[in-house]
Amino acid sequence: MSPTTYLADSAQAVLTAILAAGQRVVAPVEQAGLLAFAHVEQAEQAQLIGQTRASAKELAFPRTQRLFGYRFGNPGVELLPGEEPPAPTVLFGVRPCDAAGLAILDGVFGAEPADAPYLARRARITVVGLSCDQPQAHCACTAVGLSPTATDGSDLLLTPLAEGVLVEVLTARGAALVDLLGEALRPGAADKAEVTARAEAAMAPRALPAGLADGLAAAFGEAAWADAAARCLGCGTCAFVCPTCHCFDVVDESNLRGGQRLRVWDACQFGLFTLHASGHNPRADQAARYRQRALHKFSYYPRAHGRPMCVGCGRCVNACPAGMDIFEVAATAAAGQG
Amino acid sequence: MSTETLLTPSAPDTATWKPRLVAFVCNWCTYTGADLAGTSRTEYPANVRIVRLPCSGRIDPHFIIRAFEQGADGVLVSGCHPGDCHYTAGNYHARRKFMVLHALAEFLGIEPERLQFSWVSAAEGRKWADVVSDVVAGLLRVGPVQPTWGGAGELPVRSLSEPPRPVPEPLDVVGELRATAQRWLSDCRVDVFVGYGQGSLPGRLRPAFITSPDEVDQLVWNEHAVNNLATYLTRGLVKRHGRVGLLVKSCDARAVVGLLQERQIEREQVTLLGVPCIGVEVDGALAPKCHTCDSAWPALVDEVLSAEVPLTPVDGEGLAAEIAWVEKMSPAQRRAWWQAQFDRCLRCYACRAVCPLCYCSQCIADQSRPQWVSKSSDGRGNLAWNLVRAFHLAGRCVGCGECTRVCPSNIRLDLLNAKLAQVVRDEFGYVAGGDPDLPPPLTTYLLEDHEEFIR
Repeated sequence: MSPTTYLADSAQAVLTAILAAGQRVVAPVEQAGLLAFAHVEQAEQAQLIGQTRASAKELAFPRTQRLFGYRFGNPGVELLPGEEPPAPTVLFGVRPCDAAGLAILDGVFGAEPADAPYLARRARITVVGLSCDQPQAHCACTAVGLSPTATDGSDLLLTPLAEGVLVEVLTARGAALVDLLGEALRPGAADKAEVTARAEAAMAPRALPAGLADGLAAAFGEAAWADAAARCLGCGTCAFVCPTCHCFDVVDESNLRGGQRLRVWDACQFGLFTLHASGHNPRADQAARYRQRALHKFSYYPRAHGRPMCVGCGRCVNACPAGMDIFEVAATAAAGQG
Repeated sequence: MSTETLLTPSAPDTATWKPRLVAFVCNWCTYTGADLAGTSRTEYPANVRIVRLPCSGRIDPHFIIRAFEQGADGVLVSGCHPGDCHYTAGNYHARRKFMVLHALAEFLGIEPERLQFSWVSAAEGRKWADVVSDVVAGLLRVGPVQPTWGGAGELPVRSLSEPPRPVPEPLDVVGELRATAQRWLSDCRVDVFVGYGQGSLPGRLRPAFITSPDEVDQLVWNEHAVNNLATYLTRGLVKRHGRVGLLVKSCDARAVVGLLQERQIEREQVTLLGVPCIGVEVDGALAPKCHTCDSAWPALVDEVLSAEVPLTPVDGEGLAAEIAWVEKMSPAQRRAWWQAQFDRCLRCYACRAVCPLCYCSQCIADQSRPQWVSKSSDGRGNLAWNLVRAFHLAGRCVGCGECTRVCPSNIRLDLLNAKLAQVVRDEFGYVAGGDPDLPPPLTTYLLEDHEEFIR
């Protein structure tokens, strides 16, 4: 069944209608010279061109999240709940790559045992995707089976066309949002194939080699990883800007008054990530850590789920302090095996 | 309730609020002086909680950050008078450290009333009582610390850099660069040559590690050669390859000086090839550090590439203008401005990873027992991390600007670093990255160091 579609004047007009309907909205805004997802109250605040520096995952999977807390009382200890999830929010202007990232996180955190703190936040988010018409040099969504107008993970997808914007209703949550928007949307259909083709043509040709998952797995023992990872300095930038990286650490923080257990983002490129209490570190060097990153994304995950754990947003390539390119490294490593 | 407020006392009721003052004091003088005040029945405010340490030299800035984090309204640091240290020079070292910390705190908008220093001897029970009374009176004036920062109203916005300047055409040195690298590798003078190669994105360069004379054609040089390659010296490069040949710009060479000075590398492990540089590009314009760079020619190098270097006068104020702009704000505005910066911190530690002078095998931010720096990426944890990072680089940062270039959240780390470099230059007459034989300024002291800020 093809999705219900509507037409609207512009993405901005749809945002205005969403705000007018009293919805809490998070959208890309310019902050300190970069685009970031932030709360907006007026449609003009949103910046709907370009890619945000960090992905949209933070709204569902915050950098720091309290799982529970406690306070020493008299008598006894008072147990405090985990964080209260934010009010229902429309996440507006999410690029198809980022929306697909949320879909991947949904699978990871939704699998048994389900992750309640993530799902509590996620259940309150309606994703309004916005197709990409100006891909950047680091964009690679087509290499991982997506496209600049892909629908994965969006509840609604807006695609700007010459005559206005096409609104695809993809889920019941999307339909519920459409019901609030009244006359801003008018039933209608349009073909987005041309826009898709034009955006894809504007992208730098990047492709992942066939059989990458198996090739990488076979390359596990190769000494070449040390060369491949030589530049990597072991920071967490790639993981923290990634829409699909979801590793976290659980830390306890406490003092005389009480304490809290927090979940905070973690990254496989940190030496601390796999350090055992004994002092042993099974991933003793950056080569082993970088290999883990490449294999998790392009071998372990695809073997289990049939698609790479990468949505091709290219942020990791763009933001890497040392110019690491995971597509390049993965392809080289797998080819070296062949 | 956010993750940062649970552990701190709830917002105080201003009517019943009493300032909480934490005093870090040395065992021999101030603590004994405080004891004397007690045994002499001298009255002074009961708001002070004393933490006794062996020496003021042992009072680490972390203690002070922690005290604020845990809800102190003010911190008093006190030790023996100069000349009276029971370990000879602990208080002289402390004095330098606190001079820098004092300036940093002020730059971040922490009111001077909240961070006070004094010398109180064992005989000065009366002075102890007076100092505490005075500091508490100061805290009453400035009021409670707000549990979360902010409330300063609309923050001033300014496009912070000086007007962007175009990047000059890079010097043509590639041929000589490749020939030199080839010669060094063929002559077995070095086992690896580290320079720049083409990146995978258009217009980007990235570090290249060349181990064979046949590979030197991978080496390139242009205005995108931003990375400070000296960082790799302490990241296993020497261990993996042996003797390293390193391409350095003048700013990179300063970092090598720092590593030599701190005995992190031996001079003979590294052969330096200097490249004359007239500016690199960051975000489409001349990098801010290049505005005030006064030397195209790196120091300390073993060989240098030849080029006609046009004379470019240093006419910009660079970061000094921006520092002055930050200092013009009120303390509350400044604090809110910095808090907005730090709030964006993801704790990816890219700043640490690229810093040539951040070479600790275990960073204090990674320690969990005791956990000095909260891992939470919230106001509390981010403030602690950014303060610790800046302070640890005081008098050591060579201003290569890499931390700021790589920060995925555009946090103005360069301003913190430059402010501390200013303090170190003005107070100790020291500029980092100059002379490998000078001791770093915070490992030494002068009897006549300034102490106007100490009571």
